[in-house]
Amino acid sequence: MITLKKKLQEAEAKKGNNSLGPQSIDRRATIRDKLLTKEIAEIGDHLNSNCQVDFENPDKIYEFTVIIKPDEGWWKGGVFRFSVFVSEDYNIQPPLVKCITRLWHPNISLDGNVCLSILRDHSLDGSGWAPTRSIKDVIWGLYSLFIDLVDFDDPLNIEAADEYKRNPKQFKQSVDTYLYRYAKQ
Amino acid sequence: MSKIDDTRKGDTSNEQLFTLKKWNAVAVWSWDVECDTCAICRVQVMDACLRCQADNKQDGCVVVWGECNHSFHNCCMSLWVEQNNRCPLCQKEWVIQGTGK
Repeated sequence: MITLKKKLQEAEAKKGNNSLGPQSIDRRATIRDKLLTKEIAEIGDHLNSNCQVDFENPDKIYEFTVIIKPDEGWWKGGVFRFSVFVSEDYNIQPPLVKCITRLWHPNISLDGNVCLSILRDHSLDGSGWAPTRSIKDVIWGLYSLFIDLVDFDDPLNIEAADEYKRNPKQFKQSVDTYLYRYAKQ
Repeated sequence: MSKIDDTRKGDTSNEQLFTLKKWNAVAVWSWDVECDTCAICRVQVMDACLRCQADNKQDGCVVVWGECNHSFHNCCMSLWVEQNNRCPLCQKEWVIQGTGK
């Protein structure tokens, strides 16, 4: 039987649950924002013309774009954009990074997944994420993916890695094709 | 600390130029751990961690030392070891040496 008392109790319970959930998310978000504010204040000193950060919405410092412009290597001359999302569980969990520029790269898939060790939340050899790392390290990691961290032996885009092993010249041509189509300023 | 003794008695070489009239000993101390800032929340280990500060639980926030001699806030470290039981600074397996305030 439906009684008013029961209804009221149910409503009360629902209210209780609702107020508990968002509160703890809010709290974690506050911690995340505090950590980020500190890091972002120091980030400027480490950026240069090859690495830039764009905060589209100043109220959401946990969502931003990293712009990499390599001045050497296979992808020289391109402009590559990565979207970064920092979850409430930062800095226990790493930021989530997606490449939003299509490119031909052994360690970045065509749909934007990035294979970078420090972005992994689990790793056995200690090369993965640790709370000692920061956004600055992520930006440097992304930059290095175009220079010295290019790894043809552990590819995400297998086709790209195979092409390089078969014919580096052809690989360079594919890189350029993508670069001119998607990664020009 | 020392003052020049102005009782001059000529210019012979074995003459005492200085006498120590007063001295103050200064001692410094630091914790017998390698780091004083928690690498996880980036707040001094002797202060409450970022999370405890937000919750107003400053008193319960203690420091934990690992066998690797790295120290963190106990609450920060317990969050991290759930994910990876290694010291975030040296990557050695995390073994607690002690906790304290």
